[in-house]
Amino acid sequence: MSAEQAAAPLLEADERSAPFFAAAARGRLLLQRCEGCGAWHFPLRRRCSSCGGTRLAFAEASGRGVVHSHARAHRAPHPALRARLPLELVAVDLEEGVRVMARLAADAPAVRAGAPVRVVFEPVGEGLALPVFQPV
Amino acid sequence: MPRHPLRAATAICGLGLTEVGRVYDRPASDFAAEAVLLALEDAGLERRELDGLLVSAGMSGGPDLSLALQLGLPELRVCTQLNAYGSTAAQMVQYAALAVASGMARHVACVFADAPLRRGESTGAAYAGGRRAPRGFGGLGAAYGYGGPIPWYALAAQRHMDLYGTTQDQLGAIAVATRAWAAGNPRATFREPITLADYRASPWVVEPFHVLDCCLVSNGGACVIVTGAERARDLRRPPVYVHGMGQAHRFDLGRADLEVATRTPALESGLAAFAMAECTPADVTVCQLYDCYTYTVLVTLEDYGFCAKGEGGPFVAEGRLGPGGALPTNTGGGELSSFYLWGMTPLSEAVIQGRGDGGARQVPDNRRILVSGNGGVLSHHATLLLSPEAA
Repeated sequence: MSAEQAAAPLLEADERSAPFFAAAARGRLLLQRCEGCGAWHFPLRRRCSSCGGTRLAFAEASGRGVVHSHARAHRAPHPALRARLPLELVAVDLEEGVRVMARLAADAPAVRAGAPVRVVFEPVGEGLALPVFQPV
Repeated sequence: MPRHPLRAATAICGLGLTEVGRVYDRPASDFAAEAVLLALEDAGLERRELDGLLVSAGMSGGPDLSLALQLGLPELRVCTQLNAYGSTAAQMVQYAALAVASGMARHVACVFADAPLRRGESTGAAYAGGRRAPRGFGGLGAAYGYGGPIPWYALAAQRHMDLYGTTQDQLGAIAVATRAWAAGNPRATFREPITLADYRASPWVVEPFHVLDCCLVSNGGACVIVTGAERARDLRRPPVYVHGMGQAHRFDLGRADLEVATRTPALESGLAAFAMAECTPADVTVCQLYDCYTYTVLVTLEDYGFCAKGEGGPFVAEGRLGPGGALPTNTGGGELSSFYLWGMTPLSEAVIQGRGDGGARQVPDNRRILVSGNGGVLSHHATLLLSPEAA
């Protein structure tokens, strides 16, 4: 672990992702949607993998879905996460037909594949938040 | 149905394995050069007879096409670098077989080398910890707690457990069986037998994976040489014929309707290889399966058709895969216990078993050897069916 890495913030928005993180901080989940064919995407794409179109724009997603799978991480890729171990990683199949990789909300009860969940938001630094999931 | 024209038309005639494991202060390119020279010597070939070179690099960046210069090979008829991660080694044999069968080249070396381990650094650092997470969306995974490939495979394994009732001890049975084989391999990194109790007591990495569910990280190089069947019979060592080959690739595109965690491209890749070799899983006498994680073995066996989907857990339990079991699998100790040179780990052990060179771990019946390569997160798959018999 280099000193530079230890000092790095957990998350930094850039120009492309800023709308996503800013919306999350306001409690809204944005995903890219193809204006040509309507397909939703995660993570960010420059070209729609369904129709090949290039008109992709952020749109608000339902935030509702079911657990595809889950895994409990006992090691952290970033020092800022060490105090929070173990981390409940979760892959969620959203109603929009998109599979997102995320984490369960802190103190959420255990889940199994197929469990219904909804998005909630966890602040990460100034003006940024992470979408995480809570069983419903 | 007529016999496939390429069935047993080519053979592996040379194998070169360098020292593997915590071998420091050598670049991957040097391991690669040594592996090629060892394979040439093993086959009884002169360097000038080599007219094909396929190169595969691992995580540490080398080797590349400059290997031809290092080896003093001024003229080649086939030369390129390939990468489909853990499926590359089996793929290289396939492309080499095609090149030889078409007459493009006569002796094609397929080489992989990697040196991700650095003195004083942990194994985990070699694959996950050394990189700073990128800004923006690219940093999202690390902010959640995803680092390296382990969480992705852990999610896949946990889904199998949730859907089919696969148990922790069934994953553990694979680790135990593989370690039992490693005891017979002088080259293996870990040779001390383990029990299910040892497995359960090993630290968690990402549940459902203990440390003992995860492969090693190794420095080293391996090379096989492919030539025509006739030519192989004239060379120093017994030929190991290529009877069947297949590939398939399926990707997690982020689409919720695609099942990639519990259903892998081993299915299509295996069907192609079995069709070419005119055999079925029931004919396979020994398996060398890519075992980056215990779960990879379980799901690969299911998708090849050794058991029904969801029944991999009971199938691997009760010692079936270990020494004396009905389906000897990863007889050199695999990537879990022996060494991790991507797809060269199963492939090199297949050649050793095919030649009858397994010593204490030699299987009694080596007539149908199944080799798998797996890359990405269960995304890229390649299959070989090998045999010491040409018929």
